[in-house]
Amino acid sequence: MTLFERVFNGNDAVYGLTEQAIDGAIAQYGEEKAVSFPDTAYCLPCYYAVTGVKVTTLKELKEALGVVKTLMTREKRLNDAFMSGVATALCAEFIEALKYIDGQVPYEQPLYGHLPDAVIRNLGVPLVTGDIPGVAVILGAAPTTEEAVNLVKSYQAQGILVTLVGGVCDQVAEAGMNTGDAVRVIPLGKDVTSVIHVVSVAIRAALIFGNVKPGDAAALMEYTFKRVPAFVNAFAPLDDVIVACGAGAIALGFPVITNETENIFRVPKSLIVQEDVSKFNATSLEARDIKIKITNVDIPVAFASAFEGEIIRRKEMQVEFDGSRVDCAELVQTVEASEIEDHKITVIGPEADEMELGSKNSIAYVVKVAGKNMQPDFEPVIERKFHNYINCIEGVYHTGQRDMQRIRISINAFNAGFRIRHIGEVLYTQVKNEFDAVVDKCEVVIYTDPAECTRIRHEVAVPIFNKRDDRLANLTDESVDVYYSCILCQAFSPSHVCVVTPERLGLCGAVSWLDAKATNELDPAGPCQVITKERPIDENLGSYEDVDEAVQKFSQGALEHVTLYSIMQDPMTSCGCFECICGIEPFSNGVVIANREYAGMTPLGMTFPEMASMTGGGVQTPGFMGHGKHFIASKKFMKAEGGIERIVWMPKELKEFIAEKLNKSAQELYGIENFTDMIGDETIATDPEELVAFLTEKGHPALGLEPMM
Amino acid sequence: MPFNQKPQKFNAKTNTVTIGSGDKTVTIGGNSTFPFYTFDAPTANAPKVGIEISDGGLEGFADGIKAFYEGAASMGEIAKKAASFAGVDFLALNLEGGDPNGANKSVDELIAIVKEVADAVDCPLVVEGCKNVEKDAELLPKVAEVLQGRNVLVMSEKEENYKAIGAAAGLAYDQIVGAESAVDINLAKQLNVVTTQLGVNAQKIVMNVGSAAAGYGYEYVVSTMDRIKGAALGQNDNMLQMPIITPVSAETWGVKESTASEADMPEWGNVEERGIDMEVVTAAADLAAGSDAVILRHPKSVETISALIKALV
Repeated sequence: MTLFERVFNGNDAVYGLTEQAIDGAIAQYGEEKAVSFPDTAYCLPCYYAVTGVKVTTLKELKEALGVVKTLMTREKRLNDAFMSGVATALCAEFIEALKYIDGQVPYEQPLYGHLPDAVIRNLGVPLVTGDIPGVAVILGAAPTTEEAVNLVKSYQAQGILVTLVGGVCDQVAEAGMNTGDAVRVIPLGKDVTSVIHVVSVAIRAALIFGNVKPGDAAALMEYTFKRVPAFVNAFAPLDDVIVACGAGAIALGFPVITNETENIFRVPKSLIVQEDVSKFNATSLEARDIKIKITNVDIPVAFASAFEGEIIRRKEMQVEFDGSRVDCAELVQTVEASEIEDHKITVIGPEADEMELGSKNSIAYVVKVAGKNMQPDFEPVIERKFHNYINCIEGVYHTGQRDMQRIRISINAFNAGFRIRHIGEVLYTQVKNEFDAVVDKCEVVIYTDPAECTRIRHEVAVPIFNKRDDRLANLTDESVDVYYSCILCQAFSPSHVCVVTPERLGLCGAVSWLDAKATNELDPAGPCQVITKERPIDENLGSYEDVDEAVQKFSQGALEHVTLYSIMQDPMTSCGCFECICGIEPFSNGVVIANREYAGMTPLGMTFPEMASMTGGGVQTPGFMGHGKHFIASKKFMKAEGGIERIVWMPKELKEFIAEKLNKSAQELYGIENFTDMIGDETIATDPEELVAFLTEKGHPALGLEPMM
Repeated sequence: MPFNQKPQKFNAKTNTVTIGSGDKTVTIGGNSTFPFYTFDAPTANAPKVGIEISDGGLEGFADGIKAFYEGAASMGEIAKKAASFAGVDFLALNLEGGDPNGANKSVDELIAIVKEVADAVDCPLVVEGCKNVEKDAELLPKVAEVLQGRNVLVMSEKEENYKAIGAAAGLAYDQIVGAESAVDINLAKQLNVVTTQLGVNAQKIVMNVGSAAAGYGYEYVVSTMDRIKGAALGQNDNMLQMPIITPVSAETWGVKESTASEADMPEWGNVEERGIDMEVVTAAADLAAGSDAVILRHPKSVETISALIKALV
């Protein structure tokens, strides 16, 4: 038999029963007899939601059955199966409604049957907030009572609302489990038709919380699919009726997970066979895309930002790991979801208690992440947080990054039971919590075996680091399709907008293009928004219609035009957090750069704070521009005015900081070797005339360029 | 040269929101001019003034305020009295006693007060949370539940708890959501965006964009409101077109100008008048900057501001 035939047969069987039941009720009570569920404003909620028609009497119920019949088409297409599933669900609702006729009370504690609107409004709020991360519908009897209880408890522990239908109700009762809406385990009823009471919850949620108009079946299904995180666990044996109900669940977007292997058909993401009942939980969550919020970090010491600055001295130290002496590494790796097991933490090599007191050891931890929205570009963004995460552990200290990290575990933390695997626990929890928008699954492998650490460092990590560096180096403004806005600073600089490009990072130095991209992905309504670059006006100036529109929008009209590469024409504004300010120096046709740390005088006759007062606050001052340190070596640095060869003066400290990269850029752009040697600093001159004399002596290229104004 | 008036026309207006049910409702927003720019276009809905009472009864109120409530003992009586003062458009109930760092009243206890107040008056109601985001996430959904049908404004929906309060007030119980942010246009907008993404109707959101007492970093408040109105009207930004409500009293009655005793500060004059002045000055500035409603505590302040609005619109 095909899946279609099973669905159709099941549907026909239920339809037949419904027809009989309605006819029987009419014979007993007459056509005008009222029919309704108690305490709901939605009559027969499922039928009302799908058709927009309120059924109040047996006569109308009979008519409604005629409408249901029209859904029961018998072409062998997916839609026919789904609609037959919906028809089966509606029939189930009719049968259940008849149970309540004449004020009867068909369900008694602990069974619930129909749930009143008030319960839905109550459950709906935590469902919307994610405090109830999902709704499990368990149907039938588990192979053993123990398995039933374990499954229910596993969902309960995750805060998932569990509804029970059929044999599992007895199994849970037999085990003496406490049930009820307070503990989020709701036995609905023993007949398979009582499953409609949870469907009714989902559907009324759509009407109440989704503003879905009754009768708009498409909007209804979209809402239940997108917003009601329900799934079905159906235990073998599955008869045709259950299969037909399952088709209805799938139509609403709820995947069905079953241990039935006889005469079943796997449908990816929708009908999943999982023979091992103990894996129902993990399979269901993955199929329905449910992420469980982790509220506390399970480690024997405290975890808080208060411990971030803690320093552990040698004599307080149990063990240390030192990337500068032995092979160490820390790495985030994007993998396929099927390759990893969520929350699995493995330590390969000796644990802390197998290491000598005060010893220096190797460590390499690889955090493997998978997610539909994960991109390898986010790896370094996540990785950079490790320092912060590990430092927040009480009694653990971390510095450095990549393959140069250094970690110390204190004697106190060790005595409290802290072990290396707990580092994995912290990384897992924090990555899952903070990056939940992109990370669906996460597994941590920690190597302490020295040979393995050497292998991981040199064969896995370093090649990846090199690849990333190459990508960063090759990431140019031309090679990407979009830029990002950043308005993090608008709280105090209301009209300022940063346009972040690969070659021009935010002027604070803290937001690179990759950071902005990740911020946008993690917080889509947040401070970093996509700016397209489809309509260039002048590529040399770096002006685009798209960029202008974006700055107009994000500055609420305060800014009209911004160029990316010019300091003279519509220069980019500054908030006030600039790492550096660049200002035009008229005597030499060049520019002077001062960094925030520099306290002295510049050849402009202004100090950094004086220059800052001209530049900050979101105003455009041609000739002045705030920027990040790393922008100095960029080939896009005031490109419109000739680029970095205009730089005539920088504080010595800044010059040394940027020398290597700046020299490389100058070499590539102009063929000038050791360009920084031509640039003045405070030890050479802070007077413009002395500076020009120095520049002349060095043959600085700026002297031969056109005046900037 | 004769003066040639050119009205500043906007092709956008702020949302119109009606608070309350039955015969007594107030409507705010719906305007297409800057505040009080009646020369550009008529004002659709004049700003409204609310009087604030607290779950703590009269305790903590200045003596001068207490005098106005003489004879009112229960919360119901206090509410009735408050609603009866001249110039009052709506009643605001502040549930500050729920703060775990303060009186830490239980949700049940506060809900009983909410019910008592709601039963005592038929005027439009505004309910403010206790400032603690976790407690508010628990408390305000219950407030929304027990006030079903009253179409109240449930304030204190913040970035940290917008889901719980937005879903309960805006979706489950069909009240109006008061989205609160801290004096930053982008945070205000972001909260509106996520609240509407939750499914809450944008027409049922009112913003509290944050406040300060005049003289206490107040220029940030002006700039924020001014820019929000500018974006709402000038750029037709529909995520900033929600009307603005500003709780004034919570800020002004705590500053030294309102609290320093006459013994300590004889040259500052009468302490009660100072309190009223701070409240009036701040409220007037809020209205001029763009607030569509203000919440005040002293009946005299309410009367004064109400008269000011009537004189200007």
